[in-house]
Amino acid sequence: MLIVYAPAIPAHPYSQCGSHRASPSPFSPSERIRLVRNHLTRKRHVLAVLALLLLSACAPGQGPEEPAAAGSEGDGAANLPGEIVIGATLPLTGEESRIGGFYREGYELAFELENEDGGLQVGDQTVPVQLELLDDTTNQATAVSLAERLITQDNVNALLGTYSTSLVEAQSTAAEQNQIPYVNGGGAATSIYERGYQWIFGNLAPIELLAETEMEWIEEQQEAGNLPKPAKIAVVWENTSHGKDFQKGITEFVEASEGDYEIVMDESFELNGRDFSALLSEVKASGADLFMVDAHLPDYITMQRQYTTAGLCHDVITYGARGPEPDARDALGEEAVSYILSAVWWNAQLGDEGINKEFVDAFTAKYDKEPEWYHAVSYEAARALFTAIQNAGSVEPEAVRDALANLEMESLLPGGSLTFPEESGFQAQYPFVVQQNMPEGESPIIYPEDTATGEGVAPNPNCDQA
Amino acid sequence: MDQFLSLVVSAVLLAGLYAAMAFGLGLIYGVLRIVNLAHGGVIMAGAYTTWVLFTRFGMDPYLSIPIVVPLAFLFGVGLYKGLVRFLPRGAAGGVQSLLLLFGVWLVMQNVAYLLFSGNDQAIRTSYSTRGLSLLGVIVPLNRLVVFVIGLLTLAVLHVLLTRTYVGKAIRAVAQNPDSCTLVGIDVERIYTLTFAIGTALAGLAGLLLSTLFAFNPGAGAVELLKSFVIVVLGGLGSVVGIALGAFVLATVEVFSILVLPSFLTAAVGFVLLVLVLVFRPGGLFGQKVLS
Repeated sequence: MLIVYAPAIPAHPYSQCGSHRASPSPFSPSERIRLVRNHLTRKRHVLAVLALLLLSACAPGQGPEEPAAAGSEGDGAANLPGEIVIGATLPLTGEESRIGGFYREGYELAFELENEDGGLQVGDQTVPVQLELLDDTTNQATAVSLAERLITQDNVNALLGTYSTSLVEAQSTAAEQNQIPYVNGGGAATSIYERGYQWIFGNLAPIELLAETEMEWIEEQQEAGNLPKPAKIAVVWENTSHGKDFQKGITEFVEASEGDYEIVMDESFELNGRDFSALLSEVKASGADLFMVDAHLPDYITMQRQYTTAGLCHDVITYGARGPEPDARDALGEEAVSYILSAVWWNAQLGDEGINKEFVDAFTAKYDKEPEWYHAVSYEAARALFTAIQNAGSVEPEAVRDALANLEMESLLPGGSLTFPEESGFQAQYPFVVQQNMPEGESPIIYPEDTATGEGVAPNPNCDQA
Repeated sequence: MDQFLSLVVSAVLLAGLYAAMAFGLGLIYGVLRIVNLAHGGVIMAGAYTTWVLFTRFGMDPYLSIPIVVPLAFLFGVGLYKGLVRFLPRGAAGGVQSLLLLFGVWLVMQNVAYLLFSGNDQAIRTSYSTRGLSLLGVIVPLNRLVVFVIGLLTLAVLHVLLTRTYVGKAIRAVAQNPDSCTLVGIDVERIYTLTFAIGTALAGLAGLLLSTLFAFNPGAGAVELLKSFVIVVLGGLGSVVGIALGAFVLATVEVFSILVLPSFLTAAVGFVLLVLVLVFRPGGLFGQKVLS
């Protein structure tokens, strides 16, 4: 939609009617001549601007440098820019720079593959798609101001999200206020999607489902007689929205289980904790069978080291999404991380067929390493946006937003299909893949069964040795 | 009973670590009246130096003390000679020093991000997860070593400040730099030495931390805050007071888990800080120790 702005022409004294016409003019003859000239000049300017705008709207194509219009009137395909520009910020420096780098690799691969055949098929045209990527330095304020810059100055057609819940939560507000589609693979907390926003789409399934998927595997083991019934659970979670969702997932599962589980300890801790010895002594005193923690990598390493040193052992131990990371294996040793359960949004072991295989092959060819889940979800976020633009046949924000809301596409992610259900605030819902660290250094997928690449073990054999 | 004993052991071991973290900050403040905000940066740099020596040359963290501590000492000399000494003397403890040293910290942090990225690093030795059984409580070997090194540092500092000429000069300069000039003490040299010793102690704290925790370039912030609380609790400028302050903070933090949610235990120290500043501005032990 072209928004034509014409300055208001002030009413001229000569054009006034009624009793005013009869009244004597307040201007002298020379002033009148100047006013008429000014008015005519303004009229010419307005006409010239209108003519230019009409010409540009009717032109068959626009140059590649033409900024992508935030909105154009009429048929979107007819008004396509020469290049579709997608804006994004990522924490390329600062605390989250490592993960930010992973997301960059995922985004860049998606754009490269899409442009191999000329770009996006929008209506009957093929339009190249370009990524405008900026560094938000792992800073909320920077992430917001850069998003606003991308929207208002660079006139990007849509935004891809940054990484980590806190940055996505802050930045997505800028996208919502400016009514521009925002697809992210970096914010999993349900608090992002419970605000009633209409322009924010997330392909990370909620952490509640992470906890639920782990509990489903535990339930299978319990039914097989491998775990006690009722099982006592110590839930320990980081005091963030991520941790709260984890705790909520377990609590809801336990409440629905009708006595198969009992939560004997429910404690949270501050991020980047230094001393967990007091907390762990409480865990020991609780007599729990299952030790279920939600933590980020540094806390996982610190806590698990203190846990092992204190001689603790539980039938099942998990740190939420953490577990198989090479950094943790190096820091703790195979023995200390073996049999730890983890659940993630995606794993390269899913990539032995279909689009998963295509992704893994393309990623490995480009970067000479195996992709992690960060790469898959960022790649998939970009692909979801591309698919929505193609489905909309337009880059009009409203059309793309509607296409995202109605999206149903084949996906790398577990379940094989990606949608953004409105009832969950446009946050994707799908089961996680549960892995378990084995003493040999492997972490096979052990649940769900249809994607499993190995057998899970419960109770934790380390406890027999202890 | 088991849990109580376990908490006592935790508190004592944690106190050793906290004291090691705070000595450097307390010493520099006591003599130069500067709150060294670069303290956190030096702790982080000490941890990374230890990590580099461990991963590149296979050097045990505790054996690398003779390398890390002198390096931190030299860095302290450079920092003082290059920047801190230019601060206006009268306002040395004021906003200029805060801004300058905060800037130094930011530079150090960003250099670390450039060199090492934001990855979390940790040092794993053959004894990283070993523990000793003591009265039925398992005492982590690494933490025990850190505690012993903390005690040794306290002893060495105490002897240095009370039994040596340099130590007496440092205490004299802390009390009255103008009079020291009159009796022939090179005040500028003492300032340089004190700043360098304080920085070396921060480097040592970084080394000790690297044996216990995962760290990244953002490390040091929590340690700086806790060190500040300890220095205020113990009484500004008192080494023994700092050790006692560390013990109080560790005990309160560890035992508060019995009555408070775990995530609030970190805040307990700051509540204590406010209470001490209001009711005993000289610190819990400050007046007695100084007298």
